[in-house]
Amino acid sequence: MDYSRIDLADALAADYVIGTMRGGARRRFESLLPAHPALREATLAWSERLMPLTAALAPVEPSGDVWRRISDRLDRRKSVVAGAWQRLSFWRGLTAFASVAAIALAGLLVNPRAVAPPIVVVLAATGAAASGATAAPIVASISGDGTTLVARPIAPVALRPDRSFELWAVPTQGAPRSLGVLPGGSGVVALRGKVLAGADTLAVTIEPAGGSPTGAPTGPIVYAGKFSL
Amino acid sequence: MLKPPADWTERSHDLSRLLARAGLGDRAAFATLYERTSPHLLAVVLRINRDRAQAEDILQEVYVNVWRAASSFDAAQSQPLTWLTSIARNRAIDSLRRLQTQPQIRAAAPSSEGRDSEDDDVYDTVADESPGPLDLLSRAAEARSLAACMDKLSPSQRQSVALAFFQGLSHAEVARQMREPLGTVKSWVRRSLATLKTCLDAALQRGIERGD
Repeated sequence: MDYSRIDLADALAADYVIGTMRGGARRRFESLLPAHPALREATLAWSERLMPLTAALAPVEPSGDVWRRISDRLDRRKSVVAGAWQRLSFWRGLTAFASVAAIALAGLLVNPRAVAPPIVVVLAATGAAASGATAAPIVASISGDGTTLVARPIAPVALRPDRSFELWAVPTQGAPRSLGVLPGGSGVVALRGKVLAGADTLAVTIEPAGGSPTGAPTGPIVYAGKFSL
Repeated sequence: MLKPPADWTERSHDLSRLLARAGLGDRAAFATLYERTSPHLLAVVLRINRDRAQAEDILQEVYVNVWRAASSFDAAQSQPLTWLTSIARNRAIDSLRRLQTQPQIRAAAPSSEGRDSEDDDVYDTVADESPGPLDLLSRAAEARSLAACMDKLSPSQRQSVALAFFQGLSHAEVARQMREPLGTVKSWVRRSLATLKTCLDAALQRGIERGD
């Protein structure tokens, strides 16, 4: 069947979303979704059409037991899977070793006219596999007035052309905030508003070219460094 | 109580943020997301699988999946509540498949351990006093200003859609319940959806405009 045919895709998606498609057909349809954009689009469109109708249902409060069971399962997963953000704490410790390099480099990056001295952050390579990043750190300098960040790799880094480095401010609590993409691992970033407020870590991830499509980190953390303002 | 139609989109704004944070591993945001959405998702699951204990198991699976998939949620493509409801419905429909291949075991009396009597009260209400599928369809239609559109459907078409969507019945089950040939029912559902498509798109557009 030609699943790119719009009318066919639309009919199948409607059948799937309303729920009358069952059993083997349903599983087959789901397995086709990743490879067929027309099917995927039609399915999304039918979901947006039909799901709001469920707003007519009276909510039913689940028993407290359900959340406890979900929570337990997530705890178990957490102890098995060490996520990138958890590994971060290890790399935070490691950056202490790089502090000597930081002091050496600070002299190069200081803007002599700035009243307050800049803050230099060394982002050590995390060694995330096959990243194209080198073992040498990236050094970031935050201007004394907190408005600009200049990032530079110690050694040249190579990255696939369809990937970008993206720099993040990671707060102690809550979601990382994007500071922008770093072509070739270097760049000048304007720090708008309180983008660094509450943050104690800078991290670089590998994202699709042009930066994360979601506004949240999607790729591996390849550089990370701790700082305090 | 019936929610106003724009509510779907309005609620979605907050939920997008919570989902994004959950995608980054923020458990507190995920807990808030659960609090705000689980009563709706449980209602959705219970329409399809009436067994309260199984429905809560499904709900658990749904949220574990949501946690894993949260980082892949794309707010540009889908409204969060739509996304969550789709996951819950799919899980519930899949549970029916498993149900058919497993022997049905239902405890005559609830075990005293770990479950309070409140649960069983809720189960009773849901099973016995929940509104019928046609009722729900007309409420939903009213909420989304689809009444004029519904009038274009014959009573049989309307019932077939309501049974399929709100009762989670397959074509064959709808045909059995309505005592109509399978082929007739299939074409009713198909034609109803084709008729409703334009109206539903317009309703969606209205919701988005109001939501912004």
